Amino acid sequence: MKLLVTGAGGFLGRYVVASAVQCGHEVCAMVRPASQYIPESWQGHPQVEVVRGDLRSSHGSAQLLEGVDAVIHLAASKTGDLYEQFGGTVIATENLLDAMCEAGIGRLVVTSSFSLYEYLKRWAWSTLDEASPTAAEPFVRDEYCQTKLVQEQMVLERVEAHDWRCVVLRPGAIYGRDNLWTARLGIQVNDRWWIRTGTFAPLPLTYVENCAKAIVLAAEYNGPKRILVLNVVDNETPSQRAYLNELRDRVTPRPRIVPIPWTVMRLLARLAWLTNRVCFKGTAKIPGLFVPSRLHSQCKPLQYTNRKIVSSLGWEPQYSWQEGIHRSLEKADAADLPVPEAVESTPKALSVEQQT
Amino acid sequence: MTVAVIGGGKISEQHLGTLRGIGGVDIAGVCDLSPALARFTAERFAVPNWFTDYHKMLERTRVDVVHVLTPPATHDRIVRDCLDSGRHVIVEKPVALSNAGFRELWDYAASRDLRLIENHNYRFNGPIQQLERAITAGRIGTIEEVEVRMALNIRGGGRYADENLPHPSHQLPAGIIHEFITHLAYLFLHFMPGSSIDDIESIRAMWRNHDGGKLFKYDDLDVGVLAGSVHGRIRFSCSQWPDCFMVQVRGTDGVATAELFHPTCQVTTRRSVGQHLTPLVNSIAGARTMVRSGFGSIWQKIRNRGAYDGLSRFLELSYNALRTGGEPPVGYRQMDETSRLVDAMLALENRI
Repeated sequence: MKLLVTGAGGFLGRYVVASAVQCGHEVCAMVRPASQYIPESWQGHPQVEVVRGDLRSSHGSAQLLEGVDAVIHLAASKTGDLYEQFGGTVIATENLLDAMCEAGIGRLVVTSSFSLYEYLKRWAWSTLDEASPTAAEPFVRDEYCQTKLVQEQMVLERVEAHDWRCVVLRPGAIYGRDNLWTARLGIQVNDRWWIRTGTFAPLPLTYVENCAKAIVLAAEYNGPKRILVLNVVDNETPSQRAYLNELRDRVTPRPRIVPIPWTVMRLLARLAWLTNRVCFKGTAKIPGLFVPSRLHSQCKPLQYTNRKIVSSLGWEPQYSWQEGIHRSLEKADAADLPVPEAVESTPKALSVEQQT
Repeated sequence: MTVAVIGGGKISEQHLGTLRGIGGVDIAGVCDLSPALARFTAERFAVPNWFTDYHKMLERTRVDVVHVLTPPATHDRIVRDCLDSGRHVIVEKPVALSNAGFRELWDYAASRDLRLIENHNYRFNGPIQQLERAITAGRIGTIEEVEVRMALNIRGGGRYADENLPHPSHQLPAGIIHEFITHLAYLFLHFMPGSSIDDIESIRAMWRNHDGGKLFKYDDLDVGVLAGSVHGRIRFSCSQWPDCFMVQVRGTDGVATAELFHPTCQVTTRRSVGQHLTPLVNSIAGARTMVRSGFGSIWQKIRNRGAYDGLSRFLELSYNALRTGGEPPVGYRQMDETSRLVDAMLALENRI
């Protein structure tokens, strides 16, 4: 298959390109126009073609889809204010969907997020799965949740309207090289001091190579269901304490961890919420960790299952969480493609520009 | 009054949020080219209708006023269409890209007996109003010098520094500085004695791109103005720290400074305690202001009030004027002179 991977230059994208190539697919790796870094191993690789474009602009996006069989849409914005994230996540997806309509492509894999679930109204230690409700009050959640929710809703509406095949993947916390920290752990004050917000809450981790493999399997999915929504979480879900201790032991200088129990965090957030309601009629802007719905989305102890993705796609996470950490700290990066032994075809043109 | 909003970007968040707090104003529709953004904005602010084509919105909704919050280069066309449909218009700055463009739009509105109001929100921020009161009360004597300074690290990241999809404002006559220059110009004119551009005898303007690159046309502006014996300066910089938006007025009896990003107004003036104790009393007063400013800044953040604090006062006065047929808070003279000053600065583009 020829796959267009948006956000290919990002943290997850590089591993998805590597995994797709290993599975024998041709990849159009879409990176941003001003992106300076293109992995060396992509250059001249017979299965990889680099295309440059920014999906926030609708101009010329359909041209990038010529000859493509399926789209893996990873591009999104995680930083900036609401409108920057809306542009990078929602508008970009909107333009991509329009371009897919124009190009007649009806096969899509899109990465959504665990962040769009409702956490505040769930019982602690209950099992969160694909049937769990999404955020009841998205406008009090963070920008990432709001934009991802709009994105997923828009994708599903469009897929339904056009009879496309689509797999929506909702990964938990993706970790890997240079991304070993997750907000579910707490706050990294600096290199020496870490604050852990909670102790026993299981982390819905997925190691980046495991997740990339799931994404490629989703692109290959030819099963009976036209639309699938699947959570991506590895087999093991270590506790905050176990993961952070493991991480601390591998870092120099060894940081000190200040634990704040979940109960204390919850009480503080509740107090801040009450103060806001009573004194400011709910109009005050308080730090995210003191907004109950946001705190619960990050730190609430829940259980997670990957039963549905395992049974639907036959996905089996290859690496345990300890191996994931180990591989993330190794010198060799799994995102680097192995050089093909014999290159029979002419190498792909390295760069194709989006027409503006 | 019933209102519609065209443009669903960041500034619309401020307008819609403020409009919801003004009594007697109903928002009937929002419009944006992106269906997702139009719908999201409508849901977020509980607006009953959303559109992707403003012509359809003007046809299908019965509104009295339209807020035009789109990029500046689109104002002329959209404002004319709104006026054609018989609606008053409140438009984000700059209303037009030149004084000639503004005058045409103004005449167009006047010929239809409709109002055209440009947003000069910072004039209505608390510190600016305090500065006005200090000057009117004669606390700094006769004005000798006015300086308006904005330092914003917009090269350090964010929408203006994005090389992947350059912000449309990079295409404006003053490049990205055009996004801010209207604010600098109207505040400057507001505090210059006489408040008229006709009093200005000479202007020199240095436009620079200090940090280079192709994205920014200019990232630095230094304008010197002389009006009789009064000196004026307008500064914009992308490389100074900390970020600031300051108006400083120096007079024969003191100096008053309003800071808008960390809302405060500080006055250093002659005190009745004698020559030797005056510096001490001014220092104590200054320290009190600084402490208040520090806590006030945090308080503003908690209360979710940013630098757009003046927008609510501006809109309240605008809607009051539209209801009663009275004088709006920003009239022809302010809009005309502001765009003339911007024109003058641009005409002197590096001719020193």
